[in-house]
Parts: sequence; C-alpha cells; structure tokens
Amino acid sequence: MFNLSLIEHTLRLPPHLLSLSLDKAVKHDLEKLFLDKVIANLGLCVSVYDIRKIDGGFIFPGDGAPTYTVECRLLVFRPFVGEIIDAKLKEFDKDGLRLSMGFFDDIYIPFHLLPYPSRFEPDSENGNRFRWIWEYQANGENEDDQTSATVYPIDEIGETIRFRVQSVNYPSIPLEQPKDSKPFAPMVITVSSFSNYVWCPLLQLCFSILFS
Amino acid sequence: MKIKNANDGALTNFEVLSFLQSRGASKEVAATVAPSEYKVFQYLVDTAVDKQTKESVSDLLGKVKKYDLAKAEVLNIINLRPTSAVGIYTIVEKCDARLGEEGAQDLADIVAEVSPPPEEPRSEEGLPQANDV
Repeated sequence: MFNLSLIEHTLRLPPHLLSLSLDKAVKHDLEKLFLDKVIANLGLCVSVYDIRKIDGGFIFPGDGAPTYTVECRLLVFRPFVGEIIDAKLKEFDKDGLRLSMGFFDDIYIPFHLLPYPSRFEPDSENGNRFRWIWEYQANGENEDDQTSATVYPIDEIGETIRFRVQSVNYPSIPLEQPKDSKPFAPMVITVSSFSNYVWCPLLQLCFSILFS
Repeated sequence: MKIKNANDGALTNFEVLSFLQSRGASKEVAATVAPSEYKVFQYLVDTAVDKQTKESVSDLLGKVKKYDLAKAEVLNIINLRPTSAVGIYTIVEKCDARLGEEGAQDLADIVAEVSPPPEEPRSEEGLPQANDV
C-alpha cells in the first residue's frame, strides 16, 4: 500500500524561514508542497520520510531567496494491482460503489466488478431510494436452484468492504470543467470485490470474508 | 522536481504506523503531525496492525520463506494477517497448484500462531443480514 519514493527537487526557500535550522525549514517547505497531493505515477504523498541531501544554497541574481537542491524520500500511498484492502462504503449509484479510506476517497467499484449476480433496485424498506443487492447462490453449480439463494443488501454507508485493486489511474488534468461536475480526481483506483477463483470448495466462507 | 527512484522500497502498514507514531501521532493527544498524516494514522490504527510488533513481523517473514511466495503476497499477508485458509486463498495466486488446501491451512496456522489475532469483524461464523429469498 505504501512505498518510499526518492525524489530530487529544487526548492526556493522563502526568507522568512531562514531563522529556523536548515533541515527544519526545508522539511517545512517540502511538506507544504507535497503533503496530501497526488503526484502522477507516484501516488498520494502522505509524508516526508527523510531528507537525504541538501545542496546548493545559491542566491540567483534578482532573487531574494536561496535555492537548494534537495534529495528526499516521500512516503506515498500507491496500492499495487492485486493488493487486498479494506475500505468503508461512502456512496453508491447505478454505476457502482464508491469507497473511502479516510485519507483517500476515490476508490470505485464499477457495477461489472461487483460480485455476480448483483442488481440495483428500489429499496423495499426505504421508499424512494435505490440500493444494490447481491444474490448469492449457496451452491455455485446449480444455477436453477433458486431456493438456496441468500440476499445481501449493500447499502449501509460506512460498512467495511474488502476488495482487490484492479487498476490505478491518473487521469490528466482537464483544461475546462463544466460547472456542476464532480471535483477532479487526480488518482482513481478501480477495484473489484469479486474473487477470481470460483472453484474453491470453501467458496461460501470466502465470500462472507470478502464481504464482511 | 525529478523522480530519482519511484520505488525505493515498499513499507508494510506496520512500518508506516510506527513511523507516524514516532512523528508524534497518537490517539489521545492533538497531533503534531499534519491533518492528512493523522487521517492515515486513524485508518491504520483501526486495522489489525495496531497490535503487531517488529519481532512478530520478522518472525512471520522467516517462517513464510519456505512457501516461496511473491513479495507482494508476503506484503499482503503481513498487512491482512489471514488466520483461515480462505484468507490465504484470496491472497495467493494459483493457490491450489502452489500450496494445495493443506499448505494454505498450514500457512494460516503459522500466521495465527505468530501474530496476535486481529479484532474480529462483525461475525465470521454467522453471515450477517442474510434474508432468505
């Protein structure tokens, strides 16, 4: 889930930080720059792990602040494909579910990656709302045997879902956005809650754990 | 900004949690870490890794060596700590061919023995909110 990334950055240290010790000032500036930001193909930067090297300190002509070349390691959140993670259900609609981990909210399960068979239907208990239902056949081979199907509603906001990461995308920044669209997500994780192997004899337990 | 090495090392959740704790994040006190770091800390503290220790992790690493698992699979096992064979099946690819049912159960037993048990999810024996059709 978490990786260290070594980066080199040219940092202009604003003069009001010069009263602090150099490494504190550089760390402060790096954190302001990188923390909680997504770097394309690197991931969501969680923290500055350590600073390896600080070089330079030259003041360029016409500038009032020193420029340093800093080599540091960032702690980034970048799940790999196939990783298994728990997250809470944040919202859902006809296209699928959206999950949140607290610090990262753009985790989507598109409807075709929900456990099969699932459907989106009017909520029997709640009047106007729709919700997702997963119908699990206890005996996988016997698809005509409807009597043993158990129905799991997926509608409790905040319930924990365990999923497998399918892909991590970094869409490019759009030049223009229509007014009411969702805020731009620089990193989108598409996941599936569907386990690949259906021949396992422990299938029933498996689904309950995947879905607990 | 230049990326010198995008993958300088993978960290287990446990290592990230200890790093954040060493920076001053904790449940009670108003943290000296940034709010985004604190959110990560909150997420990790709720998972099973809160009870792990350095010794239990290195112990587990040593014991799973003989199963010849990929690095990603070992990482998943350390983070999730599956104590049942089913959990192992979801993590290890082609589990039937590589480990077989007994191998998976053995691995699960090793995990259960080395690491303290995670807090139980709502119910593992009974299936929650199941309505019969």
